[in-house]
Amino acid sequence: MTTVEETTQTPVPEGHVRLTIDGREVIAPKGELIIRTAEREGIEIPRFCDHPLLDPAAACRQCLVEVEMNGRAMPKPQPACAITISDGMVVHTQHGSEVARKAQEGVMELLLINHPLDCPICDKGGECPLQNQALRHGRAESRFRDQKRTFTKPIEVSKQVLLDRERCVLCQRCTRFSAEIAGDPFIELLERGAHQQIGTAKTADAEGWGAVTPQGQPYQSYFSGNAIQICPVGALTSAAYRFRSRPFDLVSAPSVCEHCSSGCAERTDFRRGKVMRKLAGEDPEVNEEWICDKGRFAFRYVTADDRITRPLVRENGKLREASWTEALRIAADRLAEARDNGGVGVLPGGRLTVEDAYAYAKFARISLHTNDIDFRARPHSAEELDFLTTNVLGTTPEDGVTFTGLERANTVLCVALEPEEEAPAVFLRLRKAARKAGTKVVHIGQFSTPAVDKTFGTLLACIPGEETNAVLGLREHAADVYAQLGEGGVILLGERAAEVPGLLSTVAGLARETGAQLAWIPRRAGERGALEAGALPTLLPGGRRVDDTEARAEVAAAWGLEALPELAGKDASAILTAAANGKLHGLVLGGVDPDDLPNPELAREALARAEFVVSLELRRTAVTEYADVVLPVAAAVEKSGTYLNWEGRPRPFDIAIENTGILSDCRVLDTLAVEMDTDLFTQTPQAALADLDRLGTVEPPVAQPGWTIEFEGEGPPKSPLRHGKARLATWHRLLDNGSLQDNEPHLAQTARETVVKLSTATAQGIGVGAGDPVVVSTHQGRIELPAEIADLPDGVVWLPANSGPSTVRASLGVGHGDLVDVRAGGGE
Amino acid sequence: MTHAAQETFGEETVREAAEIIARYPQSRSALLPMLHLVQSVQGFVSPEGMRFCAEQLELSEAEVAAVATFYTMYKRSPCGQHLVSVCTNTLCAAMGGDAIYAKLREKLGLGERLEGNEETAGEPGEPGSLTLEHAECLAACDLAPVLQVDYEYFDKQTPESAAELVDRLRAGEAPAPSRGPGLRGFRSAERQLAGFFDGEAALESVVDGSSQAVETLRGAQIAAEHGWVAPEAEDVPIPEVEEGAK
Ligand code: SF4
Ligand code: SF4
Ligand code: FES
Ligand code: FES
Repeated sequence: MTTVEETTQTPVPEGHVRLTIDGREVIAPKGELIIRTAEREGIEIPRFCDHPLLDPAAACRQCLVEVEMNGRAMPKPQPACAITISDGMVVHTQHGSEVARKAQEGVMELLLINHPLDCPICDKGGECPLQNQALRHGRAESRFRDQKRTFTKPIEVSKQVLLDRERCVLCQRCTRFSAEIAGDPFIELLERGAHQQIGTAKTADAEGWGAVTPQGQPYQSYFSGNAIQICPVGALTSAAYRFRSRPFDLVSAPSVCEHCSSGCAERTDFRRGKVMRKLAGEDPEVNEEWICDKGRFAFRYVTADDRITRPLVRENGKLREASWTEALRIAADRLAEARDNGGVGVLPGGRLTVEDAYAYAKFARISLHTNDIDFRARPHSAEELDFLTTNVLGTTPEDGVTFTGLERANTVLCVALEPEEEAPAVFLRLRKAARKAGTKVVHIGQFSTPAVDKTFGTLLACIPGEETNAVLGLREHAADVYAQLGEGGVILLGERAAEVPGLLSTVAGLARETGAQLAWIPRRAGERGALEAGALPTLLPGGRRVDDTEARAEVAAAWGLEALPELAGKDASAILTAAANGKLHGLVLGGVDPDDLPNPELAREALARAEFVVSLELRRTAVTEYADVVLPVAAAVEKSGTYLNWEGRPRPFDIAIENTGILSDCRVLDTLAVEMDTDLFTQTPQAALADLDRLGTVEPPVAQPGWTIEFEGEGPPKSPLRHGKARLATWHRLLDNGSLQDNEPHLAQTARETVVKLSTATAQGIGVGAGDPVVVSTHQGRIELPAEIADLPDGVVWLPANSGPSTVRASLGVGHGDLVDVRAGGGE
Repeated sequence: MTHAAQETFGEETVREAAEIIARYPQSRSALLPMLHLVQSVQGFVSPEGMRFCAEQLELSEAEVAAVATFYTMYKRSPCGQHLVSVCTNTLCAAMGGDAIYAKLREKLGLGERLEGNEETAGEPGEPGSLTLEHAECLAACDLAPVLQVDYEYFDKQTPESAAELVDRLRAGEAPAPSRGPGLRGFRSAERQLAGFFDGEAALESVVDGSSQAVETLRGAQIAAEHGWVAPEAEDVPIPEVEEGAK
C-alpha cells in the first residue's frame, strides 16, 4: 500500500510524528492515540470504551481501523483507542477502508446480540452513544435469531446507582473511572464469557447469576454519578432520575455547582420549571468532566415543601403571609429604628454569589451605617480575618494556586483540610496529581482517611487543636516535606484552621519561609466571593480596608456618599454577643443556621433578644422562628450570578429556571434599601456586578512579617485519655444533614457510616471494642454512636460534625480541638 | 480495621497468607494462590474467603470477586472430598469425553441439566463426597479422553472405567492416577496450588512423580528422527508502547 512521498514535506516539529489518516497527511504529537489524532482532524471513529480522561482499555473493539506500519499492513484491524501514532504510520478508518467498516459493523452486530434494544423505556434513549452509533455504523438488521441473554433487572450497585446488566456493553468505563479517577474500586467486571457482567462484591455470589447476597462491600463512592454519566449505554441509571424523563423533553442550561468552593461546571436539565437532573459540565481548568454526587444529586431542596415563596411578617407573635410592599415597608421602618437605637448586625452566610454578597456589604454600609457584617457562619477568629486579608484576598488563578497547578506541584501539604469531604473536586485533582505526575501529598490531620490512601498520601497525625505545633515541627520532624515545600510546594488550608489558634499565621509564615504557594479552601461556595465583596467587618469591597481613610473615601465617592462608617465592625461572634446583650437592636440574616455558628446557644439568645430580625431565606429554618420579617429569595438555579471559587476564579452562571417570581438577594436588598431611602444599584446581578467592577480592586495588603506566632515546646504534646477526657477531632462530611441535601433519600443512603472513631488504646481505655456504643459528652449534651477503631492518636476521638445524630455544635456546643468526656455507652 | 473474616481462617492461615504475599514484589500478585489457600481451608471460595483475601491484600472485595468469579477453578459452593474434572473439550469429547461425563452425571444422580459449572454428590467435605465438573482441554489430548481427580490425570478413560473410578472414590478409596503422585483430596491439592507442600517428602512426591507419558513425547521423537524444525517467526512490526502508560 501507500506511503507518503518524501519530497514535499513540511518539517516535523520536535516531539511530533507524521502519519497518514484516510489519505490525509497529519502531523501530531508523539504518543497520541490514533482515535484522538483522527478526532482532531475531524475524522470520527466510533467508540464505547474510549474516554479521553481514562487509561486506554481497548475493551469494546468498536474503534477498529486498518493500520500500516513501515509500509506493511498489520495483520488484523487494530483498536484506534489503544494504539499510539508513530512516524510513517498509515491509518485507514471506516471512511476509506472496507475492512475497517466491516470490522466495525461486525463488532456492533455482536454487541447488539445480547442488547435488549429497549430504547423506548431506557433513560439513555435519545442521548445514547450505542443508539447513535448503531444507526450510523451498524447493520440495518441483525442476523441473530436466538433468545437473548436476560438478567434480573435492575440490581443495586449502590442505593443511588442501579444496573441493568443486559444493556451493558462491558466497556468498563464505569470500573475504570472508579478505580482510576475516584480510587473507589468497588465495582468490577465479574464472571466470564457469556456471563460476564459488572457488579460489586455484593452482587458477586453468582449462584443464579449475580444474586444479591447480604454481605459484601457495596459501591461506595462520592463520585458514583460520573459512572452513570459516562456509561455509553443505559446500563447504569440513577435511582433519583430513572424513568423520570426523556432527554428530548429536557431543557439544558450550563450552570455552576452551589455546594462547595470548587465551583464545578455543571449542566442543569429541567422541565416545566423543575430541575430533573444535573450533569457534570466540562471545564479542563476546574473539574475536567467530573463532579461529586452532592453536586450532581442534591438539588431537590429547591422544591421542598417548606420553601418560602411569599414574604412573611410577624403579627401578634405569629408569622403570616404579606405582600412584598407591606413586608418591605415594615422591614425598612423597623430596621431604620433599630439602626438608630443601637445598630443592626448583618450575617449574610457563606453561600452567596459575589453579586449578592456585594449587596449585603453595601446594604450594611449604606442603609445600616455599619461595618457589623460577617459572612462567616461558622467558627472563625480575628486571626483568620487577618489571614484572609493578607494571604487570600485578591489572589487569582493567574498568581495563585489552581487546580491544574496542583498537578505541577511536587508536594502538596493539606492542613486542617479533608479534601474529599470538603472540596471533592480538589481531592480528584490531588489524586490525579499523585497518580499521573507523582505529586507527593501530605496531610496534617488525625487519622488515615480514605483521602490519605487515595492520594497515595502521607499522614502526619497530630492531636486536634495542636496542628500549629505540628506545622512548627515540620522542619525538624519531617525535614523532607519541609525541604520539598521550598521546591515547588503548595499548602492547602481548610475552614477548620480557624478553630486552631495560631495555625493560620504559622502556615502563612511557613509559606513565606519556604516559598511554597498557599491557598485557602473554604467549604462553602460563597465564602471566597464574600471576602472580595467586602462582607466582613474590616473590609470594604474590592479589597479595601475599613481602617484605610483613602480607601474609605474612594468607596464613599463611588457610592455617592459623603462618608462611610469609620469604625471597624464586629465579627459574627461579636455581633451575636452584642445582640444577646441587647446592644445591637436588629439583625439581618442570609441563609444562616444557628447550629453552624460557633456558639449555637448564643446565636439563639441573640435572635431571641434582638428587637427586630429580618431573614432572607429559601426555606423555613431555625431562624424563621425568631424572624420578624422573612423575605423569600431565589435558589441558585432560579437566579444568575457569579461564584468565586477557592482559586479566585469567577464562575458566572445564568438563570436556569426562569419566571419563578422569586428574587435574588441582591434585588431584595436593593428594594429594601430603597424603602429606607438609600440606593444600592443592585437591582439585578448584572447591575450589582457592574457596580462592583466599576469600583475595581486595590492591591491586596502585603503580609506583615512577625505574624508567626511562636509556640513553646517541641512537637505535638501527648494528650492521654485521663479521667475519661479526650480531645475532639471533627469536620463535616460531604454527605450529611446539610439542608441543601434534603429530599434526596437515595443520595442520603450513600453517606458514610456515622461512627465515632478512636484508637485501639483509647477504646480499651474505656472498655469498648469495634462496634460497641460510645458516649461523647460535654456539660451541654451527649452523642452516642458505635465505635470504629482507626489510627488516631491516643486520647482523641473523632465525630462527624453534622451527620445523623452526630450534631457536634448543636448537641455538645464544642468544636475541633476541644475537650470532651468519653465513656462506654449502652445500658442506660 | 476489623478482621471479621480472619476469625474463620485463624492465625495459621493468616501467617500462611503473609508467607504467600512475601513471595511477590507486589502484594496483589498473591491473589491467585491466596484464593487456593482459602479453598484449602473451606473447600470453596466463600464470601468471607473473598473478604479475607481483600483484607490481607488491601484490595477491595470487588477486585477479589472479579478474579474469583473469572476462573472456574475457584468454586462458589463447598466441594466434595474429591474434585472430578471430565474433559469435554473437542478432542476428548469426540473420543468419548461427553459420554463419560453423561455417565458420571447419571451415576452420581445429578440429573440432565447442569446448574452452574460443578455439582456435588454427597455431603461436601465428607469422605466419599464428590464434586463433578466438566473441564476445558486439560492439555492431555494425546491421551484422550482424560479426566482428573484433584487435578491428577486418569488417562484414556471409558465410561465404564470412569464409573468404576467414581465408585471407588465414593467408597473412600484412593485409586492411583495414571501418572503423578497419589490422591490426597481436593483441599490438599488446593494447599499445594497455594504453594504449601507440608514437608520435603511431600514436595518430592509431587515433583518426582512422573507426569509424562510415552504418547506425550511421540511427536517430538518423530520430529527429531526426521530432523524437522519449526519455521522461523517472521519479523512482524509491533506498535510502540508509550512509557508510563499506567
Ligand atoms: S455498565 Fe455501562 S460503563 Fe459499565 S461496563 Fe457496562 S456499558 Fe460500560
Ligand atoms: S466538588 Fe464541590 S463544586 Fe464540584 S460538584 Fe462537588 S460540591 Fe459541587
Ligand atoms: S473504543 Fe477502542 S476498543 Fe473500545
Ligand atoms: S481436549 Fe481433553 S485434554 Fe485436550
